Amino acid sequence: MEKFDIISSRAPRIDTPDKATGKAVFIDDISKPGMLYGALLQSPHAHAKILSIDTSKAEKLEGVKAVITSKDAGSVKYGVSPARYDETVFAIDKVLYVGDEIAAVAAVSLETAQQAVQLIKVEYEILPAVFTVEDALKKEAPQLHENFPNNLCAQVHQEFGNVEEGLKQSDIIKTTTLKNKRQDGACIEMQGCIAEYDVREVLTLITSTQVPHYVQRTVAMVLGLDIGKVRVKKPYLGAGFGIKASANPMELACCILAVKTKKPVKMNYNREQVFMYSRARHQFTHTITTGAKKDGTIIALKHECYLDGGAYTSFGIATVYYTGSLLGGPYKLANMSYDGYRVYNNKPACGAQRGHGAVIARACFEQQLDMIAEEIGMDPMALRIKNMMNTGDTTCNDLNMSSFGMSECIEAVRKGSDWDKKKGNMPKGKGIGMACGFFVSGAGYPIYRSDTFHGTVIVKLTEDGGTALVYTASAEIGQGSDTAFAMIAAETLGIPLENIRLASGDTDMGVDLGAYSSRQTLMTGHATKEAAEHAKQQVLEVLAHKLDIPMEDMDIKKGFIEFKNHIPDFSVLRTRYIKEHRGWTDNPDSEKLTFKEASRIAFLEKGSIVGTGKYKPQLLGGKFKGAAVGTSPAYGCSAQVAQVTVDMETGQVTIDHITDAHDCGKAINMTSVEGQMEGSVSMGIGEAMHEEVIFDDKGRVVNNDLAEYKIVTSMDMPIVNAIVVESNEPNGPYGAKEVGEGAIMPTIPAILNAVYDAAGVRMNELPLTPERVYNAIQVYRKKLSA
Amino acid sequence: MLLPKFEFHEPASIQEAIELKKKYRTDARLLAGGTDLLVHLKKKLITTDHVISLLRIKDLGQIKNNKESVEIGACVTMARLSESKVIQENFCAIKAGADNLGTHLIRNRATLGGNVCNASPAADTICSLIVYQAHALLESTDGKRELPIESFFMSPGKTDIRDNEILTGFKLSIPGKNCGAHYIQLGKRKSSEINIVNVASFIQFDPSDQTIMNSRIALGSVAATPIRSFHAEKILQNKKASESLFYEAGEAARHKDCKPIDDFRGTADYRKAMIGVLTKRTLDAAFKQVQAQ
Ligand SMILES: Cc1cc2nc3c(=O)[nH]c(=O)nc-3n(C[C@H](O)[C@H](O)[C@H](O)COP(=O)(O)OP(=O)(O)OC[C@H]3O[C@@H](n4cnc5c(N)ncnc54)[C@H](O)[C@@H]3O)c2cc1C
Repeated sequence: MEKFDIISSRAPRIDTPDKATGKAVFIDDISKPGMLYGALLQSPHAHAKILSIDTSKAEKLEGVKAVITSKDAGSVKYGVSPARYDETVFAIDKVLYVGDEIAAVAAVSLETAQQAVQLIKVEYEILPAVFTVEDALKKEAPQLHENFPNNLCAQVHQEFGNVEEGLKQSDIIKTTTLKNKRQDGACIEMQGCIAEYDVREVLTLITSTQVPHYVQRTVAMVLGLDIGKVRVKKPYLGAGFGIKASANPMELACCILAVKTKKPVKMNYNREQVFMYSRARHQFTHTITTGAKKDGTIIALKHECYLDGGAYTSFGIATVYYTGSLLGGPYKLANMSYDGYRVYNNKPACGAQRGHGAVIARACFEQQLDMIAEEIGMDPMALRIKNMMNTGDTTCNDLNMSSFGMSECIEAVRKGSDWDKKKGNMPKGKGIGMACGFFVSGAGYPIYRSDTFHGTVIVKLTEDGGTALVYTASAEIGQGSDTAFAMIAAETLGIPLENIRLASGDTDMGVDLGAYSSRQTLMTGHATKEAAEHAKQQVLEVLAHKLDIPMEDMDIKKGFIEFKNHIPDFSVLRTRYIKEHRGWTDNPDSEKLTFKEASRIAFLEKGSIVGTGKYKPQLLGGKFKGAAVGTSPAYGCSAQVAQVTVDMETGQVTIDHITDAHDCGKAINMTSVEGQMEGSVSMGIGEAMHEEVIFDDKGRVVNNDLAEYKIVTSMDMPIVNAIVVESNEPNGPYGAKEVGEGAIMPTIPAILNAVYDAAGVRMNELPLTPERVYNAIQVYRKKLSA
Repeated sequence: MLLPKFEFHEPASIQEAIELKKKYRTDARLLAGGTDLLVHLKKKLITTDHVISLLRIKDLGQIKNNKESVEIGACVTMARLSESKVIQENFCAIKAGADNLGTHLIRNRATLGGNVCNASPAADTICSLIVYQAHALLESTDGKRELPIESFFMSPGKTDIRDNEILTGFKLSIPGKNCGAHYIQLGKRKSSEINIVNVASFIQFDPSDQTIMNSRIALGSVAATPIRSFHAEKILQNKKASESLFYEAGEAARHKDCKPIDDFRGTADYRKAMIGVLTKRTLDAAFKQVQAQ
């Protein structure tokens, strides 16, 4: 394997000093001279006609600078996927959920803005509302969107191979269901933004987003502005998890207010509004049937799923496809069918969240594998390895595993957890369970149909030659992408990491689709590598000319020029460099020519040395409808073992330990990879154990704070043994691929399998609250004694 | 969320505080750690024109050991209770509640007086105060009053405190030898929880024959206020400690003494079942303490 100077190290993150000292700037830290504050009026009703809106009182309140409604915002529809643009900034004649936006105010203070919102009078005609998939599908159910009868937002029907035939050939058939609960991303930082419209009519939006590029396009489209007149920047973010992966109505309202008042306007969601806006993981109800041979060979998989979508589509189209497509691997499977239905109702819209669409399907299916293994008396790991795909294999739905360390991951967790000794030998009330999973390393296609590059990067060398500036429009949201790209740039240029300065998250820096679908390391990484190569090549070209040595015989390593054969006499270049720096004290005296000297000489010859890089995926497989969702240039994969204790009297489950192995291709930064693995485990545990957005019968969120919506605390977090399994991904920069989302895949099923091992109960509903587990244990005991 | 506007007062003595309370009565709220009050104000569950902070009053932050009894000031924080030697040695059920209330950050602010005056049926210190037969010490410009803690609670959020009074602290007799007590709360996660149910138990043994002379059991989150479990206590009276006896007491608590409701945190049936389990477990732990003496 290639030897690297910087990649694969544990280099400290470049944002650590800022964050550790509190100097990192987040949206809340920013204010502008003359800034106004905005507030939203949101519907208190889940489903109602708007009969009239009277803003006159609000407008008269002292300090109010603008009040806007759909009259100002217009009727341009937007959303995530152009095929389902079903939102307007403000409700026009109907509100569809508690929280639907109706109007916004800009005023000199937040208090005034909030007071003004209270003064807006809206007359409603309340309509009957529906809140569940079951009710929404009933014939007589109130309809949310005219163009989508029966409240069916989307349906997918796919079959690969022949499932009925496959099931006929199977010796063992398992059918189970699994239902999770609607999640909230629970980002510690709530969404916020500042919009500013300058005298040259350029709109700048600073916002807490994962996707500056998509926000820019949406703002331009909704406000009718040229893309070139809209700049979107993101400061540091307190996470996103998918919830900040599209333009939100507050950002749009804020822009309209800024244009109208010609003043900077700041808006924030409070925690209640975060819950109202939602856009996190759907509630899925899966029914899966798996057929296998007596020897453990998996033959067929039949899958049906209903998604509780909420009032709008958001990411829903992609979600409903991902839900089906990502069961195609990591096992060899010739026959697979999927029927997916995403259903509208009068709750906030669900969207994408870490492990988009695939997490609960995986949790259902991986339990069935354990059930089959148990029935035929096979070790669950052996069953999985028996069916495992190999590197280079393609799934029945055309996903190609160009690198694939899945079996290595299983072996790593087997050893790491002492599985062979523990499985089958745990004391009463304790259990051990495992599961596998895989995930895309970047969506193969942009959300809107386009031939666009998915990422462009610029590397510019400073005129003194010492520093390389990296400009990318990608989004550092806490995951460490800035550090990864700085490391890739440093490695490629052959200079130390300290000599890189990186700026990101600004649409003026190029195109980057942003932080979602675990795409940045692979995609932006490629573009960064190409840009750095381009810059390096320009420096070497000048050197080749000056020293009369072929370019191929030179390289840059650790900040020095390496010559393949002998070190030439470069004294002329050094003398010239030193002359350029008369009076400076750090003149080079090294035996080797420095990168700094070479780069300065190159500047003197050519002016600014600017390298550009770009990336879009190669042509990806799949011709069938929906093939675009699930295809990716690469797939990360992982295995986990969970060890749990179940209190048989109270139903309380304690996660004692997690062993986690993930194949991320080449780890650009080991520590960051482990960080993503631990973060995924914590989010997976939250979803498995505690998290659930609860509504009352009027469609209002009951537990809209972090006291009652229970994410994992440090006290609930077990020790995680994170084992990085490296492979060499041919489609990744330096062999790298994803870890951000794939690592969550096995967590929930591993816990469910461990709970079964400990308590003998198979759970078909999440989260595993003490009460739910207790009830399952009571049913199990009754069955045993009967 | 913004805190509404109010006038802020910071008296430095109990005398000043009770005079302010007399002046503003229901127009003023008392502020201790603020971990309930500020949340309620921000959520607009309550409004107030005046906030009177008690934090500058040194007397309210003391734990006084008077040999036979202990006085705990109303503004003593959970963190202080957890660290206090007299509490650790004599009132381990209070410590168990204080150790687990909220999070580290909350425990550094949350006070015993605040927990009691907030009067949540799920509060983490009240069941223990009941089984230790604590007295609430109240003061107003009219004078001082002492109330048994058990009769202090009226309904969720409501206590028997008068409009012009402040709670200055609690008086607890130090239990003698052959006594044990324990407190357990049950929630969905391990920290920062709002209890589904919680139970404190106290037992006193006759050293000659190990029979239970006296017991008090208090149940939380199963009625409008924390309640005593008299049926369970009766079952224990004059019996020898055993696992089956504690189970029986738990079943009595579950079926005869508690009237929980269904809400989004849990169903009544589950709450009852858990009252049984926690009663048994707290009794068992209390018994083991005595055995270890
Ligand atoms: C994140 C979080 C987690 C929590 N977890 C728990 C938990 O696990 N268990 C639990 O029991 N509670 C919990 N709480 C609630 C709260 O922390 C406790 O009830 C705490 O003890 C309140 O004390 P305080 O000093 O903060 O009270 P404050 O908020 O200052 O006051 C509470 C009420 O008591 C009144 N008051 C305070 N002192 C006096 C006095 N001396 N005389 C008269 N009236 C007075 C106030 O006017 C107010 O109405 C939690 C709160 C938060 C925010």
